Amino acid sequence: MHLERDQFVAETSRPVARVSLTPFGRRGLWALRVFAVAVSGMVVYTFAAALH
Amino acid sequence: MRSSTSAPLVLPPLTEQDAVRSADRSRVHEARASGRRWPLLWLLVGPGILAMLGENDGPSMLAYASDGAQYGLGLFVPFLPALFALAFVVQEMAMRVGAVTHRGYGELVLQRYGSAWGWFAAADLTVTNLITLIAEFVAIRVGLAYFGLGAGFAVALGLAAVLFTFSGGRYWRWERIVLGLALFNGLFLVAALLSGSHLGAASSAGFSHLPGSVNTLLLLLASTIGATVTPWMIFFQQGASADKGMTPRDIREGRWDTAAGAVLATLFGLGALVAGAALLGHGGISAFSQAGFPGALGHVAGGAAASVFALGLIEAGAVAILTISASTAYAAAECVGVAHSFNSSPREAVLFYAADFGVAALAAVVILIPGAPLLSIALNANVLATVLLPVSLVFLIMLANDRGLMGRNANRRATNAVAIAVATLVGACGAAYGVDSFLQTIGVVGS
Repeated sequence: MHLERDQFVAETSRPVARVSLTPFGRRGLWALRVFAVAVSGMVVYTFAAALH
Repeated sequence: MRSSTSAPLVLPPLTEQDAVRSADRSRVHEARASGRRWPLLWLLVGPGILAMLGENDGPSMLAYASDGAQYGLGLFVPFLPALFALAFVVQEMAMRVGAVTHRGYGELVLQRYGSAWGWFAAADLTVTNLITLIAEFVAIRVGLAYFGLGAGFAVALGLAAVLFTFSGGRYWRWERIVLGLALFNGLFLVAALLSGSHLGAASSAGFSHLPGSVNTLLLLLASTIGATVTPWMIFFQQGASADKGMTPRDIREGRWDTAAGAVLATLFGLGALVAGAALLGHGGISAFSQAGFPGALGHVAGGAAASVFALGLIEAGAVAILTISASTAYAAAECVGVAHSFNSSPREAVLFYAADFGVAALAAVVILIPGAPLLSIALNANVLATVLLPVSLVFLIMLANDRGLMGRNANRRATNAVAIAVATLVGACGAAYGVDSFLQTIGVVGS
Protein backbone atom coordinates (compact mmCIF):
# COMPACT_ATOMS: atom_id res chain seq x y z
CA MET A 1 0.00 0.00 0.00
CA HIS A 2 1.49 3.33 -1.04
CA LEU A 3 -0.85 5.59 0.89
CA GLU A 4 -0.10 7.41 4.09
CA ARG A 5 -2.30 6.36 6.94
CA ASP A 6 -4.34 9.58 6.97
CA GLN A 7 -5.02 9.27 3.22
CA PHE A 8 -7.29 6.23 3.50
CA VAL A 9 -10.98 6.89 2.92
CA ALA A 10 -11.70 5.44 6.38
CA GLU A 11 -9.49 8.17 7.88
CA THR A 12 -10.60 11.10 5.72
CA SER A 13 -14.25 10.21 6.39
CA ARG A 14 -13.68 10.97 10.06
CA PRO A 15 -14.46 14.68 10.62
CA VAL A 16 -11.78 17.01 11.94
CA ALA A 17 -12.47 18.73 15.26
CA ARG A 18 -14.36 22.00 15.17
CA VAL A 19 -12.31 25.05 16.07
CA SER A 20 -13.66 27.51 18.64
CA LEU A 21 -13.55 31.07 17.36
CA THR A 22 -12.82 34.07 19.53
CA PRO A 23 -15.66 36.63 19.86
CA PHE A 24 -13.61 38.93 17.61
CA GLY A 25 -13.22 36.18 15.00
CA ARG A 26 -16.93 35.36 15.15
CA ARG A 27 -17.89 39.01 14.66
CA GLY A 28 -15.42 39.27 11.77
CA LEU A 29 -16.93 36.28 10.01
CA TRP A 30 -20.45 37.63 10.48
CA ALA A 31 -19.34 40.95 8.99
CA LEU A 32 -17.93 39.00 6.04
CA ARG A 33 -21.21 37.16 5.56
CA VAL A 34 -23.20 40.42 5.63
CA PHE A 35 -20.71 41.98 3.20
CA ALA A 36 -20.97 39.11 0.71
CA VAL A 37 -24.77 38.95 0.79
CA ALA A 38 -25.21 42.75 0.58
CA VAL A 39 -22.75 43.35 -2.27
CA SER A 40 -23.98 40.31 -4.22
CA GLY A 41 -27.51 41.60 -3.85
CA MET A 42 -26.46 44.98 -5.24
CA VAL A 43 -24.69 43.38 -8.23
CA VAL A 44 -27.66 41.10 -8.99
CA TYR A 45 -30.11 44.03 -8.67
CA THR A 46 -27.98 46.16 -11.01
CA PHE A 47 -27.76 43.27 -13.48
CA ALA A 48 -31.53 42.68 -13.37
CA ALA A 49 -32.28 46.41 -13.73
CA ALA A 50 -29.98 46.63 -16.75
CA LEU A 51 -31.97 43.90 -18.50
CA HIS A 52 -35.16 45.98 -18.45
CA MET B 1 -3.75 17.00 10.66
CA ARG B 2 -0.09 16.14 10.40
CA SER B 3 0.59 13.22 8.11
CA SER B 4 2.57 10.28 9.34
CA THR B 5 5.40 9.10 7.11
CA SER B 6 6.08 5.86 8.96
CA ALA B 7 4.45 2.63 7.72
CA PRO B 8 1.19 1.87 9.51
CA LEU B 9 1.09 -1.28 11.60
CA VAL B 10 -2.63 -1.93 11.00
CA LEU B 11 -4.25 -0.79 7.79
CA PRO B 12 -7.71 0.81 7.88
CA PRO B 13 -10.42 -0.97 5.84
CA LEU B 14 -9.69 -0.62 2.12
CA THR B 15 -12.06 0.84 -0.46
CA GLU B 16 -11.85 0.70 -4.24
CA GLN B 17 -10.87 4.40 -4.13
CA ASP B 18 -7.90 3.61 -1.86
CA ALA B 19 -6.73 0.83 -4.18
CA VAL B 20 -6.82 3.05 -7.29
CA ARG B 21 -5.11 5.96 -5.52
CA SER B 22 -2.47 3.64 -4.11
CA ALA B 23 -1.63 2.38 -7.61
CA ASP B 24 -1.05 5.98 -8.74
CA ARG B 25 1.01 6.74 -5.66
CA SER B 26 3.23 3.69 -6.26
CA ARG B 27 4.51 5.32 -9.46
CA VAL B 28 5.26 8.53 -7.55
CA HIS B 29 7.18 6.53 -4.93
CA GLU B 30 9.19 4.73 -7.64
CA ALA B 31 10.05 7.97 -9.45
CA ARG B 32 11.10 9.64 -6.19
CA ALA B 33 13.12 6.64 -5.03
CA SER B 34 15.01 6.47 -8.33
CA GLY B 35 15.78 10.20 -8.15
CA ARG B 36 14.19 10.88 -11.56
CA ARG B 37 13.06 14.48 -11.24
CA TRP B 38 11.21 15.01 -14.54
CA PRO B 39 9.15 11.81 -14.37
CA LEU B 40 8.26 12.74 -10.78
CA LEU B 41 7.18 16.19 -11.87
CA TRP B 42 5.18 14.70 -14.76
CA LEU B 43 3.31 12.46 -12.34
CA LEU B 44 2.55 15.28 -9.91
CA VAL B 45 1.56 18.13 -12.25
CA GLY B 46 -2.12 18.59 -12.98
CA PRO B 47 -4.29 20.42 -10.44
CA GLY B 48 -2.29 23.68 -10.65
CA ILE B 49 -2.15 23.84 -14.45
CA LEU B 50 -5.81 22.86 -14.71
CA ALA B 51 -6.95 25.49 -12.19
CA MET B 52 -5.01 28.26 -13.96
CA LEU B 53 -5.83 27.26 -17.55
CA GLY B 54 -9.40 26.45 -16.53
CA GLU B 55 -9.70 30.06 -15.42
CA ASN B 56 -8.46 31.19 -18.86
CA ASP B 57 -12.03 30.30 -19.78
CA GLY B 58 -14.41 31.57 -22.43
CA PRO B 59 -15.64 34.72 -20.61
CA SER B 60 -12.11 35.55 -19.42
CA MET B 61 -10.62 35.29 -22.89
CA LEU B 62 -13.49 37.33 -24.33
CA ALA B 63 -12.95 39.88 -21.53
CA TYR B 64 -9.19 40.13 -22.30
CA ALA B 65 -9.90 40.43 -26.04
CA SER B 66 -12.56 43.05 -25.36
CA ASP B 67 -10.13 44.96 -23.08
CA GLY B 68 -7.54 44.91 -25.87
CA ALA B 69 -10.10 46.06 -28.46
CA GLN B 70 -11.31 48.90 -26.24
CA TYR B 71 -8.26 50.07 -24.31
CA GLY B 72 -5.18 48.71 -26.13
CA LEU B 73 -2.25 47.05 -24.43
CA GLY B 74 -1.06 49.82 -22.06
CA LEU B 75 -2.59 48.85 -18.71
CA PHE B 76 -3.03 45.15 -19.24
CA VAL B 77 0.42 43.96 -20.29
CA PRO B 78 1.80 44.59 -16.76
CA PHE B 79 -1.58 44.04 -15.01
CA LEU B 80 -2.19 40.47 -16.18
CA PRO B 81 1.15 38.99 -15.00
CA ALA B 82 0.67 40.78 -11.65
CA LEU B 83 -2.81 39.27 -11.26
CA PHE B 84 -1.61 35.76 -12.09
CA ALA B 85 1.21 36.20 -9.56
CA LEU B 86 -1.49 36.91 -6.97
CA ALA B 87 -3.44 33.89 -8.23
CA PHE B 88 -0.31 31.78 -7.66
CA VAL B 89 -0.20 32.81 -3.99
CA VAL B 90 -3.85 31.83 -3.51
CA GLN B 91 -3.67 28.56 -5.44
CA GLU B 92 -0.44 27.47 -3.74
CA MET B 93 -2.25 27.72 -0.40
CA ALA B 94 -5.15 25.61 -1.74
CA MET B 95 -2.72 22.96 -3.04
CA ARG B 96 -0.80 22.91 0.26
CA VAL B 97 -3.94 22.56 2.40
CA GLY B 98 -5.19 19.71 0.14
CA ALA B 99 -1.83 17.90 0.20
CA VAL B 100 -1.44 18.14 3.98
CA THR B 101 -5.02 17.41 5.08
CA HIS B 102 -6.10 15.12 2.17
CA ARG B 103 -9.45 16.88 2.34
CA GLY B 104 -11.33 19.27 0.10
CA TYR B 105 -12.02 22.91 0.90
CA GLY B 106 -15.79 22.48 1.41
CA GLU B 107 -15.53 19.67 3.93
CA LEU B 108 -12.77 21.39 5.91
CA VAL B 109 -14.72 24.66 6.21
CA LEU B 110 -17.86 22.73 7.18
CA GLN B 111 -16.12 20.57 9.79
CA ARG B 112 -13.78 23.22 11.20
CA TYR B 113 -16.09 26.25 11.27
CA GLY B 114 -19.56 24.70 11.34
CA SER B 115 -22.15 23.59 8.81
CA ALA B 116 -23.61 27.09 8.32
CA TRP B 117 -20.31 28.34 6.93
CA GLY B 118 -19.69 25.18 4.91
CA TRP B 119 -23.08 25.42 3.23
CA PHE B 120 -22.72 29.18 2.75
CA ALA B 121 -19.42 28.60 0.92
CA ALA B 122 -20.91 25.77 -1.15
CA ALA B 123 -24.02 27.81 -2.04
CA ASP B 124 -21.86 30.82 -2.95
CA LEU B 125 -19.78 28.54 -5.19
CA THR B 126 -22.77 26.86 -6.83
CA VAL B 127 -24.36 30.21 -7.78
CA THR B 128 -21.16 31.63 -9.30
CA ASN B 129 -20.36 28.31 -10.99
CA LEU B 130 -23.79 28.05 -12.58
CA ILE B 131 -23.54 31.60 -13.97
CA THR B 132 -19.97 30.98 -15.14
CA LEU B 133 -20.96 27.69 -16.79
CA ILE B 134 -23.71 29.48 -18.73
CA ALA B 135 -21.01 31.88 -19.90
CA GLU B 136 -18.81 28.92 -20.96
CA PHE B 137 -21.57 27.54 -23.17
CA VAL B 138 -21.99 31.06 -24.59
CA ALA B 139 -18.27 31.13 -25.42
CA ILE B 140 -18.47 27.73 -27.15
CA ARG B 141 -21.51 28.97 -29.05
CA VAL B 142 -19.67 32.14 -30.15
CA GLY B 143 -16.73 30.01 -31.35
CA LEU B 144 -18.93 27.51 -33.16
CA ALA B 145 -21.04 30.26 -34.73
CA TYR B 146 -17.96 31.36 -36.68
CA PHE B 147 -18.02 27.93 -38.35
CA GLY B 148 -21.77 28.13 -38.94
CA LEU B 149 -22.78 25.78 -36.10
CA GLY B 150 -25.60 26.56 -33.65
CA ALA B 151 -26.45 26.45 -29.94
CA GLY B 152 -27.59 22.81 -30.04
CA PHE B 153 -24.15 21.74 -31.21
CA ALA B 154 -22.52 23.79 -28.40
CA VAL B 155 -24.69 22.05 -25.80
CA ALA B 156 -24.00 18.59 -27.23
CA LEU B 157 -20.25 19.24 -27.38
CA GLY B 158 -20.00 20.54 -23.80
CA LEU B 159 -22.07 17.75 -22.26
CA ALA B 160 -20.34 15.04 -24.33
CA ALA B 161 -17.00 16.29 -23.02
CA VAL B 162 -18.23 15.95 -19.41
CA LEU B 163 -19.52 12.41 -20.01
CA PHE B 164 -16.37 11.35 -21.87
CA THR B 165 -14.08 12.30 -18.99
CA PHE B 166 -16.15 10.15 -16.59
CA SER B 167 -15.12 6.96 -18.37
CA GLY B 168 -12.62 4.94 -16.42
CA GLY B 169 -13.50 5.80 -12.82
CA ARG B 170 -10.02 7.13 -12.20
CA TYR B 171 -8.75 10.58 -11.24
CA TRP B 172 -5.53 10.14 -13.24
CA ARG B 173 -7.42 9.45 -16.47
CA TRP B 174 -9.81 12.39 -15.91
CA GLU B 175 -6.88 14.73 -15.18
CA ARG B 176 -4.81 13.69 -18.21
CA ILE B 177 -7.73 14.05 -20.64
CA VAL B 178 -8.52 17.56 -19.37
CA LEU B 179 -4.82 18.48 -19.24
CA GLY B 180 -4.37 17.44 -22.89
CA LEU B 181 -7.35 19.54 -23.88
CA ALA B 182 -6.21 22.51 -21.74
CA LEU B 183 -2.90 22.85 -23.60
CA PHE B 184 -4.89 23.97 -26.65
CA ASN B 185 -5.42 27.21 -24.70
CA GLY B 186 -2.17 28.05 -26.51
CA LEU B 187 -4.30 28.71 -29.61
CA PHE B 188 -4.76 32.24 -28.26
CA LEU B 189 -1.02 32.76 -28.54
CA VAL B 190 -1.19 31.60 -32.18
CA ALA B 191 -4.10 34.01 -32.78
CA ALA B 192 -1.98 36.82 -31.29
CA LEU B 193 0.94 35.98 -33.60
CA LEU B 194 -1.38 35.96 -36.61
CA SER B 195 -2.92 39.30 -35.55
CA GLY B 196 0.32 40.93 -34.38
CA SER B 197 1.12 42.73 -37.60
CA HIS B 198 -2.31 44.42 -37.49
CA LEU B 199 -1.86 45.98 -34.06
CA GLY B 200 -1.32 49.51 -35.40
CA ALA B 201 -2.63 52.03 -32.87
CA ALA B 202 -2.83 49.49 -30.03
CA SER B 203 0.92 49.01 -29.72
CA SER B 204 1.46 52.73 -29.14
CA ALA B 205 -1.78 53.47 -27.29
CA GLY B 206 -0.20 53.45 -23.81
CA PHE B 207 -2.72 54.50 -21.16
CA SER B 208 -4.55 57.03 -23.36
CA HIS B 209 -7.53 54.75 -24.04
CA LEU B 210 -8.40 54.02 -20.41
CA PRO B 211 -12.02 54.74 -19.38
CA GLY B 212 -12.80 58.20 -18.03
CA SER B 213 -15.74 57.05 -15.86
CA VAL B 214 -14.88 55.69 -12.40
CA ASN B 215 -17.65 53.06 -12.62
CA THR B 216 -16.37 51.73 -15.95
CA LEU B 217 -12.83 51.57 -14.57
CA LEU B 218 -14.11 49.70 -11.48
CA LEU B 219 -16.06 47.30 -13.69
CA LEU B 220 -12.91 46.74 -15.72
CA LEU B 221 -10.81 46.04 -12.63
CA ALA B 222 -13.45 43.82 -11.00
CA SER B 223 -14.04 41.76 -14.15
CA THR B 224 -10.30 41.39 -14.85
CA ILE B 225 -9.62 40.27 -11.27
CA GLY B 226 -12.59 37.91 -11.59
CA ALA B 227 -10.98 36.53 -14.74
CA THR B 228 -7.84 35.44 -12.84
CA VAL B 229 -8.80 34.45 -9.27
CA THR B 230 -12.18 32.85 -8.49
CA PRO B 231 -13.83 30.73 -5.77
CA TRP B 232 -14.10 27.64 -7.97
CA MET B 233 -10.30 27.55 -8.45
CA ILE B 234 -9.83 27.23 -4.67
CA PHE B 235 -12.38 24.42 -4.33
CA PHE B 236 -11.01 22.69 -7.40
CA GLN B 237 -7.29 22.76 -6.65
CA GLN B 238 -7.66 21.72 -3.03
CA GLY B 239 -10.13 18.93 -3.92
CA ALA B 240 -8.07 17.73 -6.89
CA SER B 241 -4.81 17.76 -4.89
CA ALA B 242 -6.44 15.55 -2.25
CA ASP B 243 -8.08 13.35 -4.90
CA LYS B 244 -4.75 12.93 -6.69
CA GLY B 245 -3.28 11.68 -3.41
CA MET B 246 -0.70 14.43 -2.94
CA THR B 247 1.13 14.47 0.39
CA PRO B 248 3.31 17.03 2.19
CA ARG B 249 6.34 15.51 0.41
CA ASP B 250 4.82 16.62 -2.93
CA ILE B 251 4.39 20.27 -2.00
CA ARG B 252 7.51 21.36 -3.89
CA GLU B 253 6.27 19.73 -7.12
CA GLY B 254 2.81 21.16 -6.43
CA ARG B 255 4.35 24.63 -6.36
CA TRP B 256 6.04 24.01 -9.72
CA ASP B 257 2.72 22.79 -11.11
CA THR B 258 0.93 25.93 -9.89
CA ALA B 259 3.72 28.21 -11.14
CA ALA B 260 3.71 26.54 -14.57
CA GLY B 261 -0.06 27.04 -14.72
CA ALA B 262 0.30 30.73 -13.81
CA VAL B 263 2.98 31.31 -16.48
CA LEU B 264 1.02 29.49 -19.20
CA ALA B 265 -2.21 31.26 -18.26
CA THR B 266 -0.46 34.66 -18.37
CA LEU B 267 1.04 33.97 -21.81
CA PHE B 268 -2.21 32.70 -23.27
CA GLY B 269 -4.23 35.50 -21.65
CA LEU B 270 -1.85 38.05 -23.15
CA GLY B 271 -2.40 36.25 -26.47
CA ALA B 272 -6.15 36.95 -26.28
CA LEU B 273 -5.43 40.56 -25.28
CA VAL B 274 -3.06 41.12 -28.21
CA ALA B 275 -5.46 39.46 -30.66
CA GLY B 276 -8.23 41.76 -29.39
CA ALA B 277 -5.99 44.82 -29.62
CA ALA B 278 -5.85 44.35 -33.40
CA LEU B 279 -9.39 45.80 -33.42
CA LEU B 280 -8.37 49.08 -31.73
CA GLY B 281 -8.74 51.74 -34.40
CA HIS B 282 -10.84 49.33 -36.53
CA GLY B 283 -14.18 49.72 -34.76
CA GLY B 284 -12.93 48.42 -31.40
CA ILE B 285 -15.62 47.17 -29.05
CA SER B 286 -18.49 48.09 -31.38
CA ALA B 287 -17.08 45.85 -34.12
CA PHE B 288 -16.75 43.14 -31.44
CA SER B 289 -20.40 43.49 -30.40
CA GLN B 290 -21.83 43.59 -33.89
CA ALA B 291 -19.94 40.75 -35.58
CA GLY B 292 -18.98 38.53 -32.64
CA PHE B 293 -15.30 38.56 -31.81
CA PRO B 294 -13.98 36.00 -34.33
CA GLY B 295 -15.98 37.64 -37.13
CA ALA B 296 -14.67 41.11 -36.26
CA LEU B 297 -11.11 39.81 -36.00
CA GLY B 298 -11.49 38.12 -39.38
CA HIS B 299 -12.22 41.47 -41.06
CA VAL B 300 -9.01 43.00 -39.68
CA ALA B 301 -6.47 40.18 -39.30
CA GLY B 302 -7.74 37.59 -41.76
CA GLY B 303 -9.58 34.27 -41.68
CA ALA B 304 -6.71 32.27 -40.17
CA ALA B 305 -6.47 34.45 -37.03
CA ALA B 306 -10.26 34.42 -36.67
CA SER B 307 -10.51 30.62 -37.07
CA VAL B 308 -7.76 30.01 -34.51
CA PHE B 309 -9.41 32.42 -32.07
CA ALA B 310 -12.79 30.72 -32.56
CA LEU B 311 -11.22 27.29 -31.93
CA GLY B 312 -9.54 28.74 -28.83
CA LEU B 313 -12.92 29.91 -27.51
CA ILE B 314 -14.39 26.44 -28.00
CA GLU B 315 -11.43 24.89 -26.13
CA ALA B 316 -11.51 27.47 -23.33
CA GLY B 317 -15.23 26.93 -22.79
CA ALA B 318 -14.96 23.13 -22.88
CA VAL B 319 -12.05 22.92 -20.40
CA ALA B 320 -13.75 25.33 -18.03
CA ILE B 321 -16.98 23.30 -18.19
CA LEU B 322 -14.98 20.24 -17.09
CA THR B 323 -13.06 21.94 -14.26
CA ILE B 324 -15.87 24.15 -12.96
CA SER B 325 -18.35 21.25 -12.96
CA ALA B 326 -15.76 19.19 -11.07
CA SER B 327 -15.37 21.93 -8.44
CA THR B 328 -19.17 21.99 -7.97
CA ALA B 329 -19.19 18.22 -7.60
CA TYR B 330 -16.38 18.28 -5.01
CA ALA B 331 -18.20 21.01 -3.03
CA ALA B 332 -21.63 19.34 -3.10
CA ALA B 333 -20.45 15.83 -2.21
CA GLU B 334 -18.00 17.10 0.45
CA CYS B 335 -20.71 19.10 2.20
CA VAL B 336 -23.20 16.21 2.12
CA GLY B 337 -20.44 13.89 3.34
CA VAL B 338 -20.57 11.26 0.60
CA ALA B 339 -17.89 9.88 -1.77
CA HIS B 340 -16.24 12.72 -3.71
CA SER B 341 -13.54 11.32 -5.94
CA PHE B 342 -12.93 10.58 -9.60
CA ASN B 343 -11.26 7.42 -8.24
CA SER B 344 -14.73 6.17 -7.33
CA SER B 345 -17.04 4.66 -9.93
CA PRO B 346 -20.29 6.52 -10.75
CA ARG B 347 -22.12 3.74 -8.87
CA GLU B 348 -20.12 4.44 -5.68
CA ALA B 349 -20.26 8.23 -5.93
CA VAL B 350 -23.72 8.91 -7.37
CA LEU B 351 -24.10 12.43 -5.96
CA PHE B 352 -20.59 13.47 -7.01
CA TYR B 353 -21.07 12.49 -10.65
CA ALA B 354 -24.70 13.68 -10.68
CA ALA B 355 -23.64 17.14 -9.44
CA ASP B 356 -20.82 17.26 -11.99
CA PHE B 357 -23.10 16.48 -14.93
CA GLY B 358 -26.20 18.16 -13.49
CA VAL B 359 -24.73 21.65 -13.07
CA ALA B 360 -23.34 21.53 -16.63
CA ALA B 361 -26.71 20.30 -17.98
CA LEU B 362 -28.58 23.07 -16.12
CA ALA B 363 -26.30 25.73 -17.63
CA ALA B 364 -26.75 24.14 -21.06
CA VAL B 365 -30.54 24.39 -20.77
CA VAL B 366 -30.30 28.15 -20.13
CA ILE B 367 -28.46 28.84 -23.38
CA LEU B 368 -31.19 27.05 -25.30
CA ILE B 369 -33.87 29.42 -23.93
CA PRO B 370 -34.86 31.80 -26.75
CA GLY B 371 -34.11 35.44 -25.87
CA ALA B 372 -32.06 34.69 -22.73
CA PRO B 373 -29.67 37.61 -22.00
CA LEU B 374 -26.57 35.54 -22.71
CA LEU B 375 -24.14 38.37 -23.44
CA SER B 376 -25.04 40.16 -20.20
CA ILE B 377 -24.66 36.93 -18.25
CA ALA B 378 -21.24 36.29 -19.82
CA LEU B 379 -20.02 39.81 -19.00
CA ASN B 380 -21.33 39.74 -15.40
CA ALA B 381 -20.08 36.25 -14.49
CA ASN B 382 -16.58 37.46 -13.63
CA VAL B 383 -17.88 40.43 -11.61
CA LEU B 384 -20.05 38.22 -9.40
CA ALA B 385 -17.09 35.87 -8.88
CA THR B 386 -15.00 38.85 -7.69
CA VAL B 387 -17.71 39.96 -5.25
CA LEU B 388 -18.00 36.50 -3.67
CA LEU B 389 -14.27 35.73 -3.69
CA PRO B 390 -13.33 37.42 -0.35
CA VAL B 391 -15.39 34.85 1.61
CA SER B 392 -13.51 31.92 0.02
CA LEU B 393 -10.17 33.70 0.44
CA VAL B 394 -10.65 34.47 4.13
CA PHE B 395 -11.47 30.83 4.93
CA LEU B 396 -8.55 29.59 2.84
CA ILE B 397 -6.17 31.89 4.73
CA MET B 398 -7.63 30.67 8.05
CA LEU B 399 -7.21 27.02 7.03
CA ALA B 400 -3.67 27.56 5.77
CA ASN B 401 -2.78 29.19 9.11
CA ASP B 402 -4.42 26.47 11.22
CA ARG B 403 -1.45 24.79 12.91
CA GLY B 404 -3.69 22.04 14.24
CA LEU B 405 -4.33 20.99 10.65
CA MET B 406 -1.21 22.14 8.84
CA GLY B 407 1.56 21.68 11.41
CA ARG B 408 4.88 22.97 10.07
CA ASN B 409 3.30 23.49 6.61
CA ALA B 410 1.17 26.38 7.89
CA ASN B 411 1.50 29.78 6.18
CA ARG B 412 4.58 31.86 6.74
CA ARG B 413 4.35 35.57 7.51
CA ALA B 414 5.21 36.69 3.95
CA THR B 415 2.53 34.43 2.43
CA ASN B 416 -0.02 35.83 4.87
CA ALA B 417 0.93 39.41 4.01
CA VAL B 418 0.38 38.82 0.28
CA ALA B 419 -2.77 36.71 0.81
CA ILE B 420 -4.37 39.33 3.08
CA ALA B 421 -3.46 42.05 0.57
CA VAL B 422 -5.15 40.02 -2.22
CA ALA B 423 -8.31 39.51 -0.13
CA THR B 424 -8.43 43.23 0.71
CA LEU B 425 -7.86 44.31 -2.90
CA VAL B 426 -10.48 41.92 -4.24
CA GLY B 427 -12.99 42.90 -1.55
CA ALA B 428 -12.42 46.62 -2.14
CA CYS B 429 -12.76 46.37 -5.95
CA GLY B 430 -15.87 44.19 -5.74
CA ALA B 431 -17.52 46.37 -3.10
CA ALA B 432 -16.65 49.64 -4.86
CA TYR B 433 -18.14 48.41 -8.13
CA GLY B 434 -21.20 46.84 -6.46
CA VAL B 435 -22.04 49.93 -4.38
CA ASP B 436 -21.31 52.46 -7.15
CA SER B 437 -23.41 50.57 -9.73
CA PHE B 438 -26.26 50.12 -7.27
CA LEU B 439 -26.31 53.81 -6.33
CA GLN B 440 -26.33 54.73 -10.02
CA THR B 441 -29.16 52.28 -10.74
CA ILE B 442 -31.40 53.67 -8.01
CA GLY B 443 -30.49 57.22 -9.06
CA VAL B 444 -28.67 58.35 -5.93
CA VAL B 445 -25.52 59.29 -7.89
CA GLY B 446 -25.15 60.23 -11.54
CA SER B 447 -23.28 58.04 -14.04
